[in-house]
Amino acid sequence: MLKKSLIVVFWLVIWQLASLLIHNNIMLAGPVNTIVALKRMILTGEYWHSITFSAVRIMGGFFIGSIIGILLAWLSYREKYVEDVLKPFITTLKAIPVASFVIILLIWAGNKILSLYVSALVVVPLLYLNTLSGLKSTDPKLLEMAEVFRMPMRRKLLYIYLPSLYPFWNSSLQAALGMAWKSGVAAEVIGQPLGSVGNGLYQSKIYLETADLFAWTITIILTALILEKLMLAVLGKCIKT
Amino acid sequence: MLIQFRDITKIYDGKKILNRVNLSIDTASDSKDVLLKGPSGIGKTTLLRIMAGIENSDSGSIEITMGEAAGGGKKLRIGMVFQENRLLEQFSAVENVTCVDSMISRTRAVEELKKVLEEEALDKPVRELSGGMQRRVAIVRAMLPASDLLIMDEPLTGLDPETRDRVIRYIMENKGRRPLIMASHDTEGLPRMRELALV
Repeated sequence: MLKKSLIVVFWLVIWQLASLLIHNNIMLAGPVNTIVALKRMILTGEYWHSITFSAVRIMGGFFIGSIIGILLAWLSYREKYVEDVLKPFITTLKAIPVASFVIILLIWAGNKILSLYVSALVVVPLLYLNTLSGLKSTDPKLLEMAEVFRMPMRRKLLYIYLPSLYPFWNSSLQAALGMAWKSGVAAEVIGQPLGSVGNGLYQSKIYLETADLFAWTITIILTALILEKLMLAVLGKCIKT
Repeated sequence: MLIQFRDITKIYDGKKILNRVNLSIDTASDSKDVLLKGPSGIGKTTLLRIMAGIENSDSGSIEITMGEAAGGGKKLRIGMVFQENRLLEQFSAVENVTCVDSMISRTRAVEELKKVLEEEALDKPVRELSGGMQRRVAIVRAMLPASDLLIMDEPLTGLDPETRDRVIRYIMENKGRRPLIMASHDTEGLPRMRELALV
């Protein structure tokens, strides 16, 4: 813990020294200015409204994308032809740049819940591929045992599939959550829905408020981190490993 | 109930592992328990797997004539001890027993497990138990659910002589009227059973 704190302090000092050296708050705001900006923002209602606005949409998209990815993976696991049919779709979804998604969806659906759609689409292939790998790696001997004892599907899920999926979900959900936030905020910066974190970031850029920009960035990182820890704690509680 | 395995034949890589094996088990008969004998690699496990319905034979048939007591028309329910333990390693001994059948309560599982296992081992994840302890959990898991037939593949593997006797006693006292088909290279201490030698 002490070692970690010292490393953080070391990089904060480097950041502060760099900003003092450059001596231009537009080019590089230092940690002190950023914390001052963050403190000023925290005291406003708009700040909390923006976080809620973005978190609800991005996390909503993350959950919807996760559920779709998991359900599609289950169908592919049960029926090989579903996997074959979905393969080009998933590969395309993985390859499409986020910016293209954002612009297409902006035309189709407007900017109000753009970040929800974008984060869902980014999450689907990741959860699909990892869930499918997890299901395929389930111990066939345990599945055979379940077949002999005629374990109902609900019990097979709880006792055999979920523990097998846990390591795959643990890593893919972390990655998916990070990607959902990055793409969701990028969508907000492009789509400019009023009262969003992305909109806050964009305003900072317009007015060359680099300290505000950094403060928003720290906000995004911290929010994503807290939600990630929360999600992993819930996952760990629900699945016995 | 009459279970008939007729002309069971299994071929692996062009080699006949099982050649027209016949076995008839009348659950009402006194000689319903069968001990499969034969050197290792002769096909005992394959035959047990075919009997359990988890592997298909290349030819032959399995016919089950259900009596009234067994509830005509049902599929054969099997309690099985596999060659490997096949336990859910992160779950406790009790959970491994209760998970296969919703009718088995925790109280009943504890009561039965205590007959062959020390009490302090019951709630530990089974991966923390010794091989012999895990084997006993696998045996109780096979014995407890309601079934028509018990199939055990080398159930006494890894057990010391004292535990072995305790486990044999447990199986014979708790199997009730269910026929038992067991493959075991080590027959010491086993009660007299009908023998089927694979050659």
